[in-house]
Amino acid sequence: MKGKHLGEFEELVLLVVASLDNYAYAVTVQSEITNKADRKVNISAVHTALYRLEEKGYLASEMGGATATRGGKQKRMFRVTSAGFATLQSAKMIREKLWREIPRLSFGN
Amino acid sequence: MERLPPKWIMKILSWWIDPSILDEIQGDLLELFQMDYTEQGKVYATRRYLKNVLLSIRNYNLRRFRRSPSNNSLAMIGNYLKSTIRNISKNATYSILNILGLAIGIAACLFILQYVSYEKSYDRFHDAYEDIYRVRYKVYRDGELNIDCAAAVPRVGPFMKENLPEVVDFVRAYPMSGTISYNNTSFREKRMHIVDPSFLTIFSFPLIKGDPSTALSDPYSVIITEEISKKYFGNEDPIGKTLEFDGDDKLQVTGVARNVPENSHLKFNFLISYETLNSRTRNDEGVSSSETSWGWYDFNTYVRVEPGTDPIVFDEKFADILYQERKEDFEKYNFKAEFPLQSIADIHLYSNLLQESEPEEQGDGRAVEFLSVIALFILIIAWINYVNLSTARSIDRSKEVGVRKTLGASRRQLIFQFFTEAFVLNLIALFLGVFIVLAGIRGFNILTDSRLSTAFLGDPQFWITISAIFLLGTVLSGLYPALVLSSFRPVSVLKGKLTKGISNVFFRKALVVFQFVASVGLIAGTLIVYQQLNHLRKLDLGFDMSEMVVVNGPRVFGQDSLFPSTNESFKNELKQLAFVESVTNGSNVPGDEIFWTNGIRRNSQSEDANKIIYNVGIDYNYFDTYDIDVVAGRSYNRSHQTDTGSVILNARAIEYLGFKSPEATIGDKVFFWNKPWTVIGVVDDYNQMTAKQAVSPLIFHLQPDNSGYYTIRLKENTNPSALNSLQSTYESFYPGNPFDYFFLDDFFNRQYNNDHTFSRVFTLFALFAIFVACLGLFGLSSFNVVKRSKEIGVRKVLGASVWKIVNLLSREFLMLLLLANLIAWPIIYWIMNNWLNTFASRISIGIWSFLIAGACVLVIAMGSVSLKIVQAARANPVDAIRDE
Repeated sequence: MKGKHLGEFEELVLLVVASLDNYAYAVTVQSEITNKADRKVNISAVHTALYRLEEKGYLASEMGGATATRGGKQKRMFRVTSAGFATLQSAKMIREKLWREIPRLSFGN
Repeated sequence: MERLPPKWIMKILSWWIDPSILDEIQGDLLELFQMDYTEQGKVYATRRYLKNVLLSIRNYNLRRFRRSPSNNSLAMIGNYLKSTIRNISKNATYSILNILGLAIGIAACLFILQYVSYEKSYDRFHDAYEDIYRVRYKVYRDGELNIDCAAAVPRVGPFMKENLPEVVDFVRAYPMSGTISYNNTSFREKRMHIVDPSFLTIFSFPLIKGDPSTALSDPYSVIITEEISKKYFGNEDPIGKTLEFDGDDKLQVTGVARNVPENSHLKFNFLISYETLNSRTRNDEGVSSSETSWGWYDFNTYVRVEPGTDPIVFDEKFADILYQERKEDFEKYNFKAEFPLQSIADIHLYSNLLQESEPEEQGDGRAVEFLSVIALFILIIAWINYVNLSTARSIDRSKEVGVRKTLGASRRQLIFQFFTEAFVLNLIALFLGVFIVLAGIRGFNILTDSRLSTAFLGDPQFWITISAIFLLGTVLSGLYPALVLSSFRPVSVLKGKLTKGISNVFFRKALVVFQFVASVGLIAGTLIVYQQLNHLRKLDLGFDMSEMVVVNGPRVFGQDSLFPSTNESFKNELKQLAFVESVTNGSNVPGDEIFWTNGIRRNSQSEDANKIIYNVGIDYNYFDTYDIDVVAGRSYNRSHQTDTGSVILNARAIEYLGFKSPEATIGDKVFFWNKPWTVIGVVDDYNQMTAKQAVSPLIFHLQPDNSGYYTIRLKENTNPSALNSLQSTYESFYPGNPFDYFFLDDFFNRQYNNDHTFSRVFTLFALFAIFVACLGLFGLSSFNVVKRSKEIGVRKVLGASVWKIVNLLSREFLMLLLLANLIAWPIIYWIMNNWLNTFASRISIGIWSFLIAGACVLVIAMGSVSLKIVQAARANPVDAIRDE
């Protein structure tokens, strides 16, 4: 878990934060994952991933507004740092490169 | 928004989550909660919320201290724990010996503490127990204590209340027994007390049914316990029902009390209203002697005083007031009475007076204190084991200490490390000890006839004690090894030289000697206790109690005038039975405390010489049946018409009343009951009560119609079925009376029950102590052997025999053992001599008890030592010396 390596779930969370643009905090991230990736995750897993990504420097955060539904508690708003984008991009490139190298034959067509 | 999840769940979160991120997480979870609430309702939302909280706190990353830099001292504690566990598992045998010893020590200590605290719990269940005192009754004649009694006179309670403002209230309890009948079922009942209505307010004996303020107001009202209610009425409501007492009095049930707790010195099944007694004793002028008497001392009297009253000051104050009131009588009859207060909480353990309420249950405060000392001894022995084993292992550990010190460990850290070890071992032992107690409590109860329960687990007092034992144990057992081991100098220990101080060896030897002293002492003590108890049991009591059946006399009898003839024919009928040797009746049997007393003097003396004597009513062949010797004069005889006017004394009474000799007394006269009586015989002393007490002065009256007890001497080897024919004979003569019998030897020996229990407890813990000491010895000797294995190897190579080596290795222990015996013998002699002096008849302490104890310890100790020694001596020397 140490180092700059990106886990599968972490990559997903990072992507979701990027896509939510400026409105990413744990609750929205969780519902987005449920909706878009059709995957049920617990809020604590999201929390853990978010804090870990922040420790790794891929996410930055600031405290956002409080609402009544939150019992007056502030939320922590996350956004992707440039390092985060770079990592996402390199991950994507590696994948694309690998995709391109798969011979068509191997699909049995 | 007022929709909030339960507070306690939110609390859980705040305990566990890092405060720097707590707010945001709480916010997120609340938001989810609100969403769930809107969509699915409260129950679902709460459940989800709880799940989220639990999953969050499980998440290591979110926990407290997540961001704090790792704490070095915490890491060190972790390291100490790790090295402790490694050490334990590396030397499994010694660790087990150590832990087992400590655990047994702790278990023994806990057992004893439970036993002791039960004994000390007597009568503390009364809400006001600190302010309740029993009024004792002491009578001095010529400055000499004549009576020291638990029961006082009926007048003293009211008199105290009238004259001393400190007295809130008083209660009198007059003990009785009798036959209770209801609907043709009859039982002989004990534990009946005639009591004032204040009984229910002074003591905390709650009523289940009935009104405590009126239940004892009217004459002939009775309160019964639940148990009695069940016995007579089953499931019926007893209130308002009528019980018959001894066939004539009708008692109306006005209340049902909860059963009396076992740890009450005053036990009752029936409480009869005091007015009942007053109406019986009232004379023509309307005065009841049960209110006014200053001489009838059968009334257990208790007072409740204002909180903070000093009993000593109270006694002094009351003595003055009493003197003013009673001056004339005191001076006229040359005596003095005192009514000192005695705290109700002290009665069970520290009171042993005449007419105690439950004499057989009377505890022994000194024995209880003695046991506490033994408990402490066992623990100390276990701690000594720990110290011994750890210092003995110092050679093993010295390299570790050297390396740690070289790498920069400070002495303080090392001390801390060894304390951690002591802490862990003590903790494991503690758990094991508590487990042993829980597992063994039933066995303990059966063995010692006690009533301990596991309820102590809920008692905070218990946990305080446990923690104290634990902490003290950790400090005491950890201190010495910690100091010694941490003081090693790294350079020398790493070079392989152990800076072995002489003090170390000396200390260890001193500890071993202490263990031996304790073991020898406990064995010798146990032996002496057993010998004394055996002596008491086999003592010639002055009468024969074998093959004797005692039947309670009838209490329900239609017409008193017919009793003498029925009594005679009943006895004759019994004598006809083939298995009956002889039959006698009397007011008391041996082992039965005599309550019937009066003042007596030689006829030639003046009135102020009166002394208290105990009365027994007997029939003609009482002495024959009991095999009591007549030393002068004769026993009662049917051929002497005048015998109803004469009396028989025992030898003690001759001396007590100041007669010259038994022979000279015959034909002389004694004066009591307002007239002179001729002494016709003197019988040998016999023990009316236990042989622990001195023989009391007795006077025997001829009362062939006394309905107290029938004693039947059976012929030898009588079949138990004989009791059936006794019963049918009894029932045909005395219908409506329960056939209630006991064997005299059982009855008499019940007085020793407490001593036997105590000696079993004593033995049990002596064994515990010895076992623990042996564990330590075994561990110590095996380390000794390991340490000297090279030496043994070299010696063997050079031609030493196995026997020589065993001899060499065991000599050291042998010397210690001898020294321990020398120390233990005088100490034990002194202690046991003091104990034996409390008995009227005691054994003298023989050297044999000590020799046997010494030999026992020698065998056990050498057994555990030589196991390892012989093994080492027989080992192939090559194994020991081949590698350097």
